Amino acid sequence: MSNLKYRVLLIVALVAASVWSLFPRKVVERVKRGDSYVFDTVTRVPLKRGLDLQGGMHLALEIDESKGTIADKAEALDRAIKVVRTRIDEFGVAEPVVQKSGDNQIIVELPGIDDPQRAMGVVQKSAFLEFQITDETQALEKALPRFDAILKEAGAAAGPAVVGGDTAKSGKGLQELFTPGKDSAGKTKGDSTKKDSLALTTGGAFSKLIQQGQFPGEYFVAESDVPTLQRYLDMPAIQSAIPPGKVLRWGGETQTLGATQYRPIYLLDSRPIITGEYLVGAKPNQVPLEGTVVEFTLNNEGGRRFRAETAKHIRDYMAIVLDQRVMGRPPVIQSAIGTRGQITMGQGRSLQEAQDLALVLRAGALPVPLKVAEVRNIGASLGQDSIRNGVRALVIAMLLVVAIMVVYYRFSGVLSVIALGLYILYTAAMLAYFNAVLTLPGLAGFVLSVGIAVDANVLIFERIREELARGKTVRTAIDEGFRHALTAIIDTSVTTILTAAVLYQYGTGPVQGFAVTLIAGITASLFTAIFVVRTFYLLWLSRSRGAQTLSI
Amino acid sequence: MLRILHDTNFDFIKWWRWAAGVTAAFILAGLASFAIRGGVNYSIEFTGGTLMQLQFTKSQDAGRIRSTLDRAGVTGAEIQQFGSDSEFTVRAQDKRDVAQQASGAEGVSQRIEGALTKEFGADAYKVMRREAVGPRVGAELRRNAGIAMLLASLVTLVYLAIRFEWRFGVAAVLSTAHDVLVTLAFIKLLHIEVSLTIVAAILTLLGYSGNDTIIIFDRVRENLKKDRKSPLYDVLNRSINETLPRSVLTHATTLAATLALLFFAGEVIQPFAIVMAFGIFVATFSSIYVASPLLLWIEHKWPRSVSSDKASGKATVRASRTAELPAGERTPRPRPTEGAATR
Repeated sequence: MSNLKYRVLLIVALVAASVWSLFPRKVVERVKRGDSYVFDTVTRVPLKRGLDLQGGMHLALEIDESKGTIADKAEALDRAIKVVRTRIDEFGVAEPVVQKSGDNQIIVELPGIDDPQRAMGVVQKSAFLEFQITDETQALEKALPRFDAILKEAGAAAGPAVVGGDTAKSGKGLQELFTPGKDSAGKTKGDSTKKDSLALTTGGAFSKLIQQGQFPGEYFVAESDVPTLQRYLDMPAIQSAIPPGKVLRWGGETQTLGATQYRPIYLLDSRPIITGEYLVGAKPNQVPLEGTVVEFTLNNEGGRRFRAETAKHIRDYMAIVLDQRVMGRPPVIQSAIGTRGQITMGQGRSLQEAQDLALVLRAGALPVPLKVAEVRNIGASLGQDSIRNGVRALVIAMLLVVAIMVVYYRFSGVLSVIALGLYILYTAAMLAYFNAVLTLPGLAGFVLSVGIAVDANVLIFERIREELARGKTVRTAIDEGFRHALTAIIDTSVTTILTAAVLYQYGTGPVQGFAVTLIAGITASLFTAIFVVRTFYLLWLSRSRGAQTLSI
Repeated sequence: MLRILHDTNFDFIKWWRWAAGVTAAFILAGLASFAIRGGVNYSIEFTGGTLMQLQFTKSQDAGRIRSTLDRAGVTGAEIQQFGSDSEFTVRAQDKRDVAQQASGAEGVSQRIEGALTKEFGADAYKVMRREAVGPRVGAELRRNAGIAMLLASLVTLVYLAIRFEWRFGVAAVLSTAHDVLVTLAFIKLLHIEVSLTIVAAILTLLGYSGNDTIIIFDRVRENLKKDRKSPLYDVLNRSINETLPRSVLTHATTLAATLALLFFAGEVIQPFAIVMAFGIFVATFSSIYVASPLLLWIEHKWPRSVSSDKASGKATVRASRTAELPAGERTPRPRPTEGAATR
């Protein structure tokens, strides 16, 4: 009798614990307010929904080795994870996940994100900041004949001569627009015009594509010629012919002159005067003349260096290079600069872009370039539909199973249905307690498990029927029924748990959710079918002493 | 007391040749389809590629979307209506498209989006779902799914070998493997897309079908202990008959849950539910017609020795039965028995 009391107590205690762990509580969540998402405290059942149910983005990132191999990949990946995590934390997502997967991937999960493009940019941007002085020595002009010769040797893979002629013509127009009769520029003009004609006569494939810009080290390339020039620049022979100690970097924004768009390209001293590692603060701003800017602050050491270097380069032009691309147009250094500076993003850029840039600059540069190996994002409304459909299927499955059990097993069927109710409660509580993620396949697995969960009951009931048919008393029949059915129930449960465990090990997000639900379901069903239903029978037996018939 | 199929005496195993014929024909049909129509219809998770679900503000013509994508250079894309005529899925799974994603999985989807925005305007549509998988991830996942299947079978085999005798374990695993084959043939014949969710369905079936076989074998084990005289053939038949009500009822409740999924859980889950529903029938069929004859055959090939078997009386019976079989016969030809239940 006391045994029975403890059984009931255990069941009630578990129900209480389950209800408590599922009780709606306040959680901080990113919720939609009008058009924007804000953090807010909402009250909801603490079941964690997977990305496919609440909407959001899943990213798998890999080290990009297309631009050179990386020596210590494991170490680089660990550092990259730190940077990505810092950026994501500042990005403002509730419950983000940043973790290593295998030895070459970073998994980033951002629930409820509404702008995947932007998130991808923030995660992926290398954010390697350099300040470099533009070339003063006309090194490119001197190297041009060499470039042309290399291309000629390479079999004139150059574009058709007609295109070259066009460019040369528009190039002249450009010269006139850009050079308002300054002395030095005039000289440059003469030089490049000469080179232009040279290019035309010798078919100098390289030099005909580029025009002198407004200040030393700046050049312009017609937008339509950019891919061709990039192809030339990628050639190893050209790379090695670039003047020593110099680098070529594209500008970020095109300039429109007449009907043609031009992209600037800069020849810079390859040694940066400082890099972004000294940066301690960055914040976006909008200023009337320059448009959107990011104002940054350097630490003391960086400031000292910056001051010393800029003092040496007064009246020179300084390019601010982010991820090998020149931001804005290089400003002229008027006087030594200390710890504060700004990066001009140009007119028409949104404040949000500046915000994101400031964010990645603060978090630091990625030690290695990352590429997206996999991306999945799901709209929040789609997830909501899935939950609604899943719950509807769950209710209908329940009703069908209840109908079958009650019609077939009558009183015992009712007991099993109560146990099924407890089963659902326990399973949900277990998922909440272990912080398991409920996914769409997981929800499907849950519905399915409702059908499978009664299997144990069916096994036991059939066994009891057999024992009763052999003329055993109700009490003995129940005892024997449970005893005989037990081995089969345990065997089936263990095999299912084993398969689910394998699935968990080798599956990805949604399927792992399925495996977890399955395992939680089987555990709960073992308990409810064997222990709970048995207790119900014991209760019934103790109430109706000497019962001769059992409705089963 | 409501009873169905109570105290039945069907000679199930008598029909094993027919059953073997049917199931072999089905698997062959699947293989033929494999040979004629080419490989498995893998989802982009496995092949790499891009899947986008688009919702337009008003109904759109699939042709216009196609020509827009063609102009953007995404030529191998498959465009399907999804529910209403303003929702579409775009699936770019072509080898060329996938290869472009090696340097960054998001490339193709961004190109698609760019082209659509240019053609329809940015406010005319919304991307409800986007999946972009680089080629390497897909290959890795395919390998993992294969490992998962093999490992799950292996783990089941080991467990059964420990819990039962190895004969039972082998029969159960072979019959489960049969279920997976038949289900794969079904997937191939219906041209269902093999996604990770389908792999989950197959693995669930692996467990479910294993269960069904275990229930019967558990009964066989018990009956063998109680009754050491009857031949295995009869014991098997009796065990199947005794567990019949349970089988019917459990399959009914599981099928009920599966049908609820099929009709009410939404389009994403439908393939999973279809495969599960089919699998439930296969599991029922195989535990009776595949696992049991296999067990008989294994008994015949490797009769249990008197010393290692407690049911020594049974072993002699087995030996005498084996002697009746014509030489060269690979499987014991079941002798028609007069009613299985000899209790």
